[in-house]
Amino acid sequence: MQGISRVRQVLVMTGVASLMFATSVSAGAAGLTGKYNAADAKLVPAALKHSTLQVATDATYPPDEMMNGTKMVGFDVDLINAIAATLGVKVASNNVTFDNIIAGISSGKYQIGNSSFTDTKAREKQVNFVDYFQAGEGAYTKSTSHVIFNGLRSFCGMKVAVETGTVEQTDAQATAKTCPSNKKLTVLTFSTQTEANVAVSSGQATIGFLDSQIAGYVVAQSKGVFKLVGSAVNVAPYGIATAKTATGKKLALAIEGALKTLVANGTYSSILRHWGVNAGALPASKILLNGALS
Amino acid sequence: MSTNGDGSVKVVPVRHVGRWFGSAIVLVLVAMLVHTMFSKLNGRWRFRWDVVHQYFFTSEILHGLLLTIELTVISMTIGIVLGVIVAIMRLSPSRLLSTPAWSYTWFFRGTPVYVQLLFWFNIAALYPVFTLGLPFVHHAFVAINSNSIFVPFTAAFVAFGLNEAAYMSEIARAGLISVDEGQIEAATSLGMTRSQTLRLVVLPQAMRVVIPPTGNEVISMLKTTSLASAASVVELLGSAQNIYSVTYEVMGMLITASLWYLAVTTVLSIGQYYLERYFARGALRSPPPTAIQRIRRDVRGIVAKFPTGHRAMREATR
Repeated sequence: MQGISRVRQVLVMTGVASLMFATSVSAGAAGLTGKYNAADAKLVPAALKHSTLQVATDATYPPDEMMNGTKMVGFDVDLINAIAATLGVKVASNNVTFDNIIAGISSGKYQIGNSSFTDTKAREKQVNFVDYFQAGEGAYTKSTSHVIFNGLRSFCGMKVAVETGTVEQTDAQATAKTCPSNKKLTVLTFSTQTEANVAVSSGQATIGFLDSQIAGYVVAQSKGVFKLVGSAVNVAPYGIATAKTATGKKLALAIEGALKTLVANGTYSSILRHWGVNAGALPASKILLNGALS
Repeated sequence: MSTNGDGSVKVVPVRHVGRWFGSAIVLVLVAMLVHTMFSKLNGRWRFRWDVVHQYFFTSEILHGLLLTIELTVISMTIGIVLGVIVAIMRLSPSRLLSTPAWSYTWFFRGTPVYVQLLFWFNIAALYPVFTLGLPFVHHAFVAINSNSIFVPFTAAFVAFGLNEAAYMSEIARAGLISVDEGQIEAATSLGMTRSQTLRLVVLPQAMRVVIPPTGNEVISMLKTTSLASAASVVELLGSAQNIYSVTYEVMGMLITASLWYLAVTTVLSIGQYYLERYFARGALRSPPPTAIQRIRRDVRGIVAKFPTGHRAMREATR
């Protein structure tokens, strides 16, 4: 575990460093948009070919997804647009609170969930996932804080801010049950990541717990208010979610095909580099359907 | 005209065709509603009764319910006490008292309660430390970290209580000005002081007007407390959300929470009815019937439709 942690620490650091770069890289870099690929387009289920696919995203998770004025931007947004271009389908983005996305896919309101979802076995019971990225869970505090983070157990005695429905909420709450009674862990849950960040800055929470590259971005954007603590834990794949139906599975296979094409033609890595998250890139061999580790 | 043969006129009851027709439609709609509520979809209860049954009495939900009730009671207490004070200040002839009262209502009614909640929750960003000391000279006797005062629960009831006071002050003011001026003149002519007049004559009569809208506010507050989950208070809705964020049983958990809200609302409505009855003493010749009295009356009405052969039953229900 220690080995992995060290690697992750380096990855997060390079992630933040390349983020500083990212702003200077011109947005016009070749291949951010993706090109139509007839072979991949054939995989799109007939029922969905001519309709606009509704994509649900919780845009409070920069740089993966965030709002820029009225427009949703981010690494996930560019990626799904490139996938749509490759498949020759139309997509419309919907800003939805994170804990409502999977329910919305199950009820058929949205066809795609694209919101930095960690692919877990529990979630795979509800939806199909196409793995496309990997990230760990990272922590940050106010820069004046002296707390130490070296694994989930260090949360005992702290107030941890998490977004509702995230793997960080699940992990923090599971840890809370194992903490001794004189060092209780309070998990503060918020419906958006933004509210969780505000709670850390106002001191309501001791520490924020979220995906590592998001933590890196939040800290970089905070102008010295926050700092990263410790190294990331529980590295796991991200997945793009589709419904647990026959059509949903076909759509997932089409997305998988498109992603592999984007990896091969370099669009995937240009998008990741553009947003400074290339540390979490997956090779084509790891782009899988439902490849949860735990 | 038809007769009964012996010369007496046959009385035919009026046929309420419209009423029968309407009742039939209502019956069919009710039957459809019950049927769909207990139907199945893809082999599961459409309304997820299995989930409702599984989680209805779990400690997580019951703990959330307790927090919801606590928040409602504390916030409404603050709201009512502060609201009455603001209303009395508002009616004061002194501008120094009535203007702040008006401004209070203007401010707290003029911004959304959700914004106020986030504001109190994050107040430490503006005032990291609360001090008790001499004003202007920065001499503090006691200094407390704001975050240790405004823990999520406190932030929630302060936000709800202060906001509610603005609405309650208008309700209380409506009650106060509804009391006839002659009453105050009469009290004054008896030699009562202003405060005696208020306590003994005006407030008891104002109560009658004030109770129905206040009951409304209590029920509304019960549901407003669900916003507290934004300040990470895990009240009833928050605990339901925490469960469904792991199990994805969104609808089942929302129905579970809704049933609890309905149950508490029902209890509150009954309480309001009896409170109204109590304060109607001075105004109505006979108070409205209690629920038990009303059921008795209905049973008697039905029994009366069958005048013969049911005397024993009629006697029993008397």
